[in-house]
Amino acid sequence: MMDGNQILSSLEKLRNINSSKDIPQLTHAMFPGTHCPLMGAAMAVRGIQNAVLLVIGTDECAYYTKHMTLHSDDFGGMGGRCVSAVLDTRDITFGCKEKLDSAVSELMEEYNPPAVFLVTTCVVEIIGDDMDSLAEGYSKQYSIPFLSVHTEHFKCENHLPGLERTISACLNMMKPSPSEGTVNILGQRMGKFEETELAQMLRENGIKIGMQLPCGCTVDEIVKAPSARVNIVLNNIALPLAKKMKETFNIPYVLFEKFTDPENILKAYQHLFEILEKPFPEILMQKYQQAQESVLKTQNQLQGVPYIYGNTPFDCMEFNAFLVKLGMVPQIIQTASVDMDNQYLNYILDSADPYVAKTANIAPLQYVYDVLHPHLYLGHEYAPRLRKKGMAVVRSDSASSMLGFEITDFITKELVRAAHEAHQYQKEEGLA
Amino acid sequence: MSLTRFLPTPSDRMGILWSLLAMDGCVVLEYGPAGTTHFSMGLFQELGESQQNRLFTTHMSEDDVVMGDVTRLEKAILEVDRNFAPKVIFVVASSVAAVIGTDIKGVCSYMQESVQARLIAFEQGGFRGDYSIGLVETYKLLVQELPIEDPKPQPDTVNLLGFSMGSYRASSDYRELETLLEQGFGLKIGACLSGETSVEAIEQMGGAALNLVLREEGIAAAKILHSKFKTPMVAGSPYGYQGTLDWLHNIGEKLGRTLNSELEAELKERIRDTAQYAISLRMLREDTASATLVGEYRAILGIGKFLEQLGFHIENQLCMHTLRAIPNPDPNVQFCTSEKQRLDILKGIHKQMILADDPSISVCSPDNICLRISMPVVYGAQIAKHLPLMGIRGADFLLEWVERYIQTLK
Repeated sequence: MMDGNQILSSLEKLRNINSSKDIPQLTHAMFPGTHCPLMGAAMAVRGIQNAVLLVIGTDECAYYTKHMTLHSDDFGGMGGRCVSAVLDTRDITFGCKEKLDSAVSELMEEYNPPAVFLVTTCVVEIIGDDMDSLAEGYSKQYSIPFLSVHTEHFKCENHLPGLERTISACLNMMKPSPSEGTVNILGQRMGKFEETELAQMLRENGIKIGMQLPCGCTVDEIVKAPSARVNIVLNNIALPLAKKMKETFNIPYVLFEKFTDPENILKAYQHLFEILEKPFPEILMQKYQQAQESVLKTQNQLQGVPYIYGNTPFDCMEFNAFLVKLGMVPQIIQTASVDMDNQYLNYILDSADPYVAKTANIAPLQYVYDVLHPHLYLGHEYAPRLRKKGMAVVRSDSASSMLGFEITDFITKELVRAAHEAHQYQKEEGLA
Repeated sequence: MSLTRFLPTPSDRMGILWSLLAMDGCVVLEYGPAGTTHFSMGLFQELGESQQNRLFTTHMSEDDVVMGDVTRLEKAILEVDRNFAPKVIFVVASSVAAVIGTDIKGVCSYMQESVQARLIAFEQGGFRGDYSIGLVETYKLLVQELPIEDPKPQPDTVNLLGFSMGSYRASSDYRELETLLEQGFGLKIGACLSGETSVEAIEQMGGAALNLVLREEGIAAAKILHSKFKTPMVAGSPYGYQGTLDWLHNIGEKLGRTLNSELEAELKERIRDTAQYAISLRMLREDTASATLVGEYRAILGIGKFLEQLGFHIENQLCMHTLRAIPNPDPNVQFCTSEKQRLDILKGIHKQMILADDPSISVCSPDNICLRISMPVVYGAQIAKHLPLMGIRGADFLLEWVERYIQTLK
């Protein structure tokens, strides 16, 4: 049995965190642990039609990556475009070039892809094979882009760098193109952009969508991506690519993350329409007013509700700042990293000082619940288990296909629903 | 031929992990990047293995890799011991730990005095071969380390060696073996390496009357147990009616017990009933009843022999793992050194009964009759625990598919 108080005593408060390295793990032995960047790379390549993902690594890494894609229509299922070059001791000792040459030759003969992502794993990075040079050589040899993506997990926290590096690698495919006045959508990780409020606003204002990376594009669209007028960055994973595209092709970018606070959403919309040199649509002001009303209506019902933050589709600090604004009380925020210059962090600290812990370690949390007695868990947890502790899960995955004021409406309703549910569970368990 | 299009053969490390996870009373602690542990969850769930409070990872940072710092492993060992009080903590190296040469055994050695749990190190990081090698290493290490010296004698108990949760229908086979042993001789299963077992059962395994070695990978462990406890062994698996009867007779002979007459009569009746197949198949005018088997060594040999007894011509027996761990492998069993070689063989097969895994079946021509007898499972899932491939019910099930195949022949 773990001791919840002991676990908490090993954590740090948000106020004492000076860098991401200060964020402690709940325990030293974790389960399930974070996802690895190899998985992130696979998630990114999934959205690039017909591009082949070639995993270079141990049979275990190759097995799990293929396993993940077996039921993915985007990848083409079992015989689909996720393949591997499995390394053995000989390759580890003498280098993997020989094996890779042979695998690439077979791949080109059988798949005829428009682009290949050479995704290395931990072991390849340790032995130091120069995958960048190999990729360059294959690009010349086969006259299609070969892009190397490095996904060693011991240098990063989770799967997001895998996504970031894969989409950043796409810069090498881009060619200067005459402007077509479109906007590129960068960094949509899940869900369909077309279904979002932002997409609808763009459509209604006559703005055409160009490349959507990585949520659904062709290699040809990536090549022509510099024809866009603006890049809309939906997540930080796309920021390095947006910055490089600004440097290389002088395409400006707008940060339009999955914000929850109507004030932040309004600012993002205003910046976007300003940069597009389009008048600000009246309907957006109406949506802003409605979102503000949702916030006001919700504040009474969520006042003082304690919660633990796990993982959601939203920006961690922006969302937690919004929750604090609603009157809720953060007890633990689980996050992989903290940006100390983050304005939202300071907002949270003005009225709260939660514990901070690394993500993806839900086993020890069970013991912490008994000490802190939170009402809500925001993220992925086993709902029946939480019910017995008088807690409810806030489910936010469906916000993957949302951007704009629709998020405020959705999340405030969900928070109220979950808070009522938690109250009910507390009665059931005699905790209320 | 270096490209892997489908799922590669699982590594030694994967075989070690799914064997250890099948044991109550232990914790498996992986020393390596956390992503591998998280990524593996899907596979272990598919194999029906619980990971809750049994599998943990330390994660590893760049500092750990560059400087060889094992502090986080030490802390994790102390923590698991304190929080879960397992009898054994298996510390398993990741591929990263193996490549940088972390001395896992050394860490376990000096940490042993600080914890109550027994620490056992597995230093294979996935580079010593495929899972077949991993199974050999696991069985050997478990019988070397865990059985106590003076176990309680258990004359009505037998141990299973060479059992693997990575085998298709493993849980169903376990129940079929349980039924056969109980019905045939009133025997119970003691320890099972490795599936549905516990550290306590393994500690007491030296007291069992007999070790049943179901697959070749368990022979080395059985020899160790023989040298330690003089426990006799019977090697082989009960596939087909005759194969099951022979297996039971071997057990009876070794233990000096007589097989239950009703069970013996039931098996003999099944053997008589199936004798007609060989006669009917010889009378086919145009076709020949042929089969190709793809899977684990012992299963494709055992099922192949059953089909031969029915009058089949066995065209191919393709083993999915290397034959390195198999003493004197049958010359008819082939291990393809590349996936392409295996796929090319399968693509060229027509009008046969193909008993294989889902990826292999997916490339076969539709004029074959295909039956899944091997992992990996891609379509659907294994849920039932009463549909074995071994024993009487296993043979009944295979025979139904044989009937279906024969109906396509002229």
